[in-house]
Order: sequence, then structure tokens, then C-alpha cells
Amino acid sequence: MAVFGSFALLVALALAAYNLIAGGLALRLMAIKRPTVVSPERLAETARRAGIAGFFAVTAAAFALVWSVFTNDFSISYIVEHSNRALPAAYKFSALWAGQEGSLLLWAWLLAAFGFVLRLTHKRDAKLYACAGAILAAIQAFFLLLLCFPASPFALVQGPIPADGNGLNPLLQYPEMVIHPPLLYLGYVGFSVPFAFALAALIMRYPGEKWIKITRGWTMASWLFLTLGIFLGMHWAYAVLGWGGYWSWDPVEIASLLPWLTGTAFLHSVMMQERKGMMKSWNVWLIFSTFLLTLLGTMLTRGGLVSSVHAFAASSIGYWFMAFMAIVLAVCFFTYFLRRGHLKSERHMESLVSRESSFLFGCLVLQAACFVLLWGTLFPVLSGLVSGNKVTIDAPWYNSVAVPIGLFLLFLSGVGPLLPWRATSLKTVRRNFLLPLIALLVTAFVCLALGVRPWKDGAFDQGSFYALLAFALAAGVLTAIGAEFLRGMLVIARESGRNLIWAKLQLIRRNPRRYGGYTVHVGVAIVVVGLAGAAFNHSVESEMALNDRVSIGPYTLQCSGFTQDSNANYDSEYALLDVSKNGRNLFQMTPEKRLYHASGQPQTMVAIHSTAAWDLYVVYEGMSPDTGRPVIKAMLNPLVGWIWAGVLLMLVGTLMALVPKQLTANSGQRTVQKDAEGFES
Amino acid sequence: MMETQGLIAGMLFFFALYLYIFWPQNLLVSQRDETIIDSLLERKEQLDEDLRDLNFEFQSGKYPEEDFKAQREQLESETAQLLAEIEHQKHA
Repeated sequence: MAVFGSFALLVALALAAYNLIAGGLALRLMAIKRPTVVSPERLAETARRAGIAGFFAVTAAAFALVWSVFTNDFSISYIVEHSNRALPAAYKFSALWAGQEGSLLLWAWLLAAFGFVLRLTHKRDAKLYACAGAILAAIQAFFLLLLCFPASPFALVQGPIPADGNGLNPLLQYPEMVIHPPLLYLGYVGFSVPFAFALAALIMRYPGEKWIKITRGWTMASWLFLTLGIFLGMHWAYAVLGWGGYWSWDPVEIASLLPWLTGTAFLHSVMMQERKGMMKSWNVWLIFSTFLLTLLGTMLTRGGLVSSVHAFAASSIGYWFMAFMAIVLAVCFFTYFLRRGHLKSERHMESLVSRESSFLFGCLVLQAACFVLLWGTLFPVLSGLVSGNKVTIDAPWYNSVAVPIGLFLLFLSGVGPLLPWRATSLKTVRRNFLLPLIALLVTAFVCLALGVRPWKDGAFDQGSFYALLAFALAAGVLTAIGAEFLRGMLVIARESGRNLIWAKLQLIRRNPRRYGGYTVHVGVAIVVVGLAGAAFNHSVESEMALNDRVSIGPYTLQCSGFTQDSNANYDSEYALLDVSKNGRNLFQMTPEKRLYHASGQPQTMVAIHSTAAWDLYVVYEGMSPDTGRPVIKAMLNPLVGWIWAGVLLMLVGTLMALVPKQLTANSGQRTVQKDAEGFES
Repeated sequence: MMETQGLIAGMLFFFALYLYIFWPQNLLVSQRDETIIDSLLERKEQLDEDLRDLNFEFQSGKYPEEDFKAQREQLESETAQLLAEIEHQKHA
């Protein structure tokens, strides 16, 4: 299979090169309109087909690698390093992206799959698709070059073939890890599509905003995948790493957040271009930067540029990435300067208090956040180059910068929907902001009364202060968006004579993008409430013999035993802890420690009991080296469940926004008539 | 032996892809160039939608009447200018 896989990759590289060259040539011939031996349309068609064929070639290579993992072909060095005979089937599959070469192959395969779908739907706008297809082929060619030369997944083992492999990294042997990397990569790779269309539209001086309409769904889906990937990564860190947190400002975590920030800014600012013909240059640069940041993210994870728990393989491909990013940046700059006249805004901002200005502020803040985080991530590298000493920046610095920015963004997510386009009068401000402001103040007072106070023992407590702000702002945002929904629902219910639930469905169908977006904002507010809970985390650590007890919050944990287990993949040792509350037995928790046979590496499996109020989080830390007694660490982490609930709402909101728009409610003649009279008058 | 089989399978695969790419096609997609009028019509559609949204939001009580009237007049005036521009482009 190694020969077949390598050959398929070479074929895919040749096809990507043909797609790029023939596609580019065909577009040039179409533009100059001179008679040629081969018609440009025919040449463009062969280029398109080469792109489709490229998908099959990369699929064949990916299949060859998966087949080799499942058949334990230890003649391939990648399989030796990332799999072993006893590895469960699901993890064998995830071995495809466990290492550098496999994850690059996954990148290439996803890009080929996206290109395949695009090339099949090319009739929507054959020329724009042909140009975007050639750009995608250029990106594909870069990844295939890596796969064919410095990072071949089919490189053979030197010397005798081992009887078994080293196994998958134990950190990756967790259910989320089967889907977290593909989701993250779906997001990363997905942003190549709007990038390719933006660049193509600019190269072709394409009039109008058609490229935005074509790529709207792709952008939203990519943003959703990236969001889910980031949050699944957080959940994995929370459940596997055993330190009780979900975000540690690791460079690779930040690397996934950077394109998310610019992608979020892009999703909002394209609305300004569609509706008002404004911010055209911004949008082009936002999507250019998002794509470049996805490359940077891949390079940081796989290129070994910075030290990270996620950088599973340090290697020399970082230089390839740097060179490619430099080429992409040069092409973007060159095209922009050549075509910048095409990106002139059709209108200007009329007022500082308007929907437009809230979008602009939001985009500015998102970009500022992106720049600051990028600076912090690359600072160790830059300081190393300048002074020879790598100065690392730790979590408190990131928190001091990111938390205020995040809270300001939360504030804007509630303010934006309340402001009208163009300009806002004082009367409108009073009318729309009164209720959210009351909700904000009431929540702040209730929190203060419940003990969430920004001071502790007479000193200022920053964590509690930010938590108080987050709770109050979230209440304001939820009220603002709730009021938006309610107002719309009441109009439809009044006009149609139907109930509010039906009215809500019609409201969403009438403008799914807007109300889906609002639902995402609700999800974000709920996530922020969950994140703010971290200010009140507390923990106890204790050596526990049989029948020993330890208390945390309202819970008492009593050790009822320790036991061991073994299977072909690992040996495990775990504690049995009976949890009671007010003297009443509730449930048993079994925190675990595993030792994997193939790699010889230990791994902690945390026991978590989640409620809406908090998570009881218990880690079995193994035996104390001094006393030989088992050590248990218990934590009470408030509101963590709200984070995952908020993400689910963000998922629902984005899916709603992806539904095609229906202009009028089709509940029968009467509603349509009302629409014609009322909404469209 | 395995290497030879892999190579043969690869060659056959490559040949199949080659046939797919260069197989003669009679139905080629050709397309007229996107024009300024197309983009103006797109803008007109957007303005219609803005107007619909404005009416709906006014009905929901989001804006006072004077704000609504001012915004509506502005949108209608923009639509009129756009229609004039479309007419001009059609006759240009």
C-alpha cells in the first residue's frame, strides 16, 4: 500500500499543478478573446476535471494510509510511530491525524473534498469558479508538495520491520480526540474557499458582491467547525489533562483562536458590504488574514516553531510553511495594490451611533484582540531572534488583555442588534436600551447581594470584578436579544392571529440569518457566564486511605476502595469514591490512572459530575512518594456546564443562519396578504 | 511483489483519471460576463430587503415614527437613484 499511496500523492500533485496552469491559461485566453487552437472553455473544463480527479487521487492516498493502519503494516514508519496492534479501532482511525504527515494528508484531503463539491457546482458562475478553483489548486499543490517530499506519510522503516508499533499518544486516546482535530481542520481548510473566491473576484475585478453570496454558507460552516473544534479541544483539555481548567493560553490553542477572531470579524463585516457597499477592503483583508492565520495555526501545531503541549511533532516543515505564507502574502498585496480601485466604498459612515458603527467597533476590537494574541504567541520567537533569550508570556498576561476585550465584545453583541442602520436618535436609544439596562443593573445588585463582590478582605479582587461585569453584561445582552425576538414574534402573532411559538418559527424563517445570528449571540453570552464561573473555583487535595473522607462545597467524598484493571491496550488503577450530600449517598465517582503498554506512558482519566451550578471534578493523582498512600484532588468548578450549553446554542444558531431565507410567511392566503400590505408597504 | 502490485494499481488508477480528464466533451459551459447592471440589480434587491426590514422593525415598535419616516425616505430616494442608474446603464 505504501507504493500505491505514494504514487497516488504524486498523481494528485500533478493534477493540482495541471488544474492551476491550465485553469489560469484558460481564464487568460478568455480575457484576451483571441482565437486559439484549443478553445479556452475546453481547456477550462479539463482543468476543472483535473481538480475533481485530484480529489479521487488524494482520497486513494488517504485510503492507503487508513488501510495500512488497520492492517498493522509496520513497514511504514508513520504506522510504527502512531499505532499498535492492540489499539481500538476508533483510535486506529484517528491515527490518521495523530502525527504531522497524517494531519497534512487530512488537510489535503479536506481541501480536495471542498474543491470537489465546488467544481461540481461550477455552473453557478463558471468563470469565477474556474479562477477560485485554480487558487485552491495552488494551495493544494503546496500541501501535496509537503506530502510528496519532506513529510511523506508512506516513508518506509529503515532496517528490520518491528513486530508492533509504539502506539498512539495516550493524550489522544479519548473520544473527543477522534473528532476534535477533524473539526478544527474542517474550519481551517474551509476558510480556503472564501479566501480563494475573494482573491479570484479581486483578480477578475468582479463587479458586485456575488463572491460573498456564493461563499456565505462556506464561511458560516467553516466558522462553525472551527468553533466546535476549539470548544471540543477545551473539553478534551478539561477532561484529560487533569488540572481542572480548559484553556491555558498554550500557543496552539491561541493559534486556533486567531483565525476564529478574524473569521468572526469577517462574518460581521461582509454584512456591511452586502447591505451598504462599505468596508470592501477590510473584508478582503479580513479573509486574507484569516486564511494566513489558518496556515500559521497549522504551522504552529506541526511545524515546531513554538513549544506547546499540542505541537506533537517538531520538524523542518516550518520553513516550507513560512515560504508559502510569504508567497501568499506577496500575491495578496500585489493583487490588492493592482486592483484597489475596485474596492472603493460606495457609502460612508453617517453616525457614530448606528448599526454600522457597532459592526465597525466590533471588527476593530476583534482585530485588536487578534493582533495582541498573535504578538504574545510569537513574542518568544521574536525575543529569541533579537536578544537570544526566549521570553515566554504566561496566562496572567493573556487574561489581563483578553478578558476586558472579551467583555467589551459581549457588550457590543447586545448593543449592535438594538441600533438602527445609518443613525440613531435619542428617542430610539431610550426605547430600545431601557429594558436591557434595567436587567444589567438588577443582575449586578443581585450578584452583589449574593456575595459576588469585587473586593475581598478590603482588597480589590479582579477575578470577582470581571465575573460581576460578565454576569451583568450577559443579563443585558440576553434581555436585549430576547426583546428583539419578542417584538418580532408579537408583530407576526398579531398579523396572523396565531400563537407565539408559531410566530417565532415564522420569524426565524423570515430572516434566518439575523435570528440565527442573535441565537449565536445568546450562546456567546451563556459561554461567557460559564467562563466567569472560573473566578470561584476551589479545590482540596488529600491523601486518602480506605473510608477516609474529604469535603468540598456541599459534597463529602468517602473512599470505598481502590482497584485495578487491565486490557490489551493499558493497565488501569482507580479509586472508588462515594459522594454524599447532607448525609445522603448520591453517586460513585471513579477517577483513574492508566499506563499504556505500547508507549509506557501514564495517563489520567478525570471523573466529572456535572450540574447546572457546578462540576465536581476528581483526579486520582496516584500514590504519594512519601507515604505510599493514594492522593485524591477534588475541585468544585462553578458554571462549567454553561460553557458547553452555550456552545450548543451557538451550533443551533449557526445552523439556523444557514437555512435559506423565506421572505414571506406562508401560512395561507391571509398571512401572505398581510405581508403584502404590512411588511412590504 | 507488493511494490509491483502497488505500482500497477497506481498506473491503472492514473490511466482512469487521465481518460476522465481528457474525454471529449460536447456540452461546455460558457457564460456571459457579469456586468455593472447585474451588480446594480443585486444592490436594488438589497435595498428592497432593507426597506422590508425597516417596515417590519417599525411595526414591532423598535423605532419612533419620525426616525422611521426619515430612514424610509432615505431608502426610497436611494432606490430611485439606483433605478435611474440602471436605466442609464441599459441605454449606455
